[in-house]
Amino acid sequence: MSSYHLSTRERLLAIINDIEIVAKELIENTIAPKAQKMSSTDHAQLVELLVLKDKELKATLQLAAEQAGIEKNMDALREQVRKQDEEINQLQRQLKEAEQILATSIFQARQKLASIAKANKRPVSSEELIKFAHRISASHAICAPLTWQQGDLRRPYPTDIEMRLGFLGKSDLNINGHNLQHPNSLNEMHRNASTVGAGGAGGDIPASAPNQFAWHPSGELHMSMGAGAGSVSLDTRAHKDASQDDVEVMSTESSSSSSSDSQ
Amino acid sequence: MDALETKPQICNIPETKIQPVEIEILPVVYDIIRSVEKDPIDNTAKQKESAECSHKVTELQKTLDAARSTIRKLHGIEYSKEEQLRRLESLRKQLALKQQLIKKYKNVQF
Repeated sequence: MSSYHLSTRERLLAIINDIEIVAKELIENTIAPKAQKMSSTDHAQLVELLVLKDKELKATLQLAAEQAGIEKNMDALREQVRKQDEEINQLQRQLKEAEQILATSIFQARQKLASIAKANKRPVSSEELIKFAHRISASHAICAPLTWQQGDLRRPYPTDIEMRLGFLGKSDLNINGHNLQHPNSLNEMHRNASTVGAGGAGGDIPASAPNQFAWHPSGELHMSMGAGAGSVSLDTRAHKDASQDDVEVMSTESSSSSSSDSQ
Repeated sequence: MDALETKPQICNIPETKIQPVEIEILPVVYDIIRSVEKDPIDNTAKQKESAECSHKVTELQKTLDAARSTIRKLHGIEYSKEEQLRRLESLRKQLALKQQLIKKYKNVQF
């Protein structure tokens, strides 16, 4: 019976079992009565078998010692393999990181190249850009003036006073026979408006303004019908907060006109 | 490429000689058989011898059990020697391949 396909452990345990069986046989034969004892040949064979098994046990134990040495080497090799595995994993992680960073950089670089090409198609001189930036910021539309306080009448959008000072306001549109009076400066207009505003409670129609058109606090444009006749509201817009919408439209228009000019 | 093809160095593991385990069963069996064969005439001596005999048989049993438990605790005997040597060889190859791979990654010119 070939036992070489078995592991060394199984072989050793099998030999121990065999030794136990043979030793028991021998002892039983020794204590057995004469009539039941085996022949001397059998006895001798049993003894030989026991000795053989003992030799086999010692040889297999020697083999086990060699295998234990090999196993120690294998443990050391496994430790080295484990370290290599760790190093490979780390390298892999670093490569993936590098790939991600490179991919992001290439994408951003492509975007920048596209925007550079786009900008080169329509070059704009920096002087022109600065000029327009100056113009936009000069009217305090971007940032309030440093000296601005609560109650200051200045606004980031053109007020009605400024509109009247403009081209449309100064045109010879003469409704109801009223002649237009031209105020000397914007500051005079602001002073007049502020005194009226302070005197009138609840922000009534400014009577000191010589024009027939005036803004009601509710946001509607009122037209004066004559001395003491009251005023009629003009339905300029149906929205509740019409003044704000006007402002937004105004500001959008101004920006779009300036941007179109730049092209 | 030649640098990559050369066999990678596996650090030399010192050969450690392990002493084999000593299991002596024959002397115990011999003692038992001798004490049985003595067969003294005197009754008291006979009883004494008989007690010693049974004690020696118990000792034999203990020796066998101890041998079995020692064998079960030994390392490296899960496989036959041939199988173990095959596994050792495959471990060496695995280590060599991994070292080559690492060297290749580190030497790559981008």
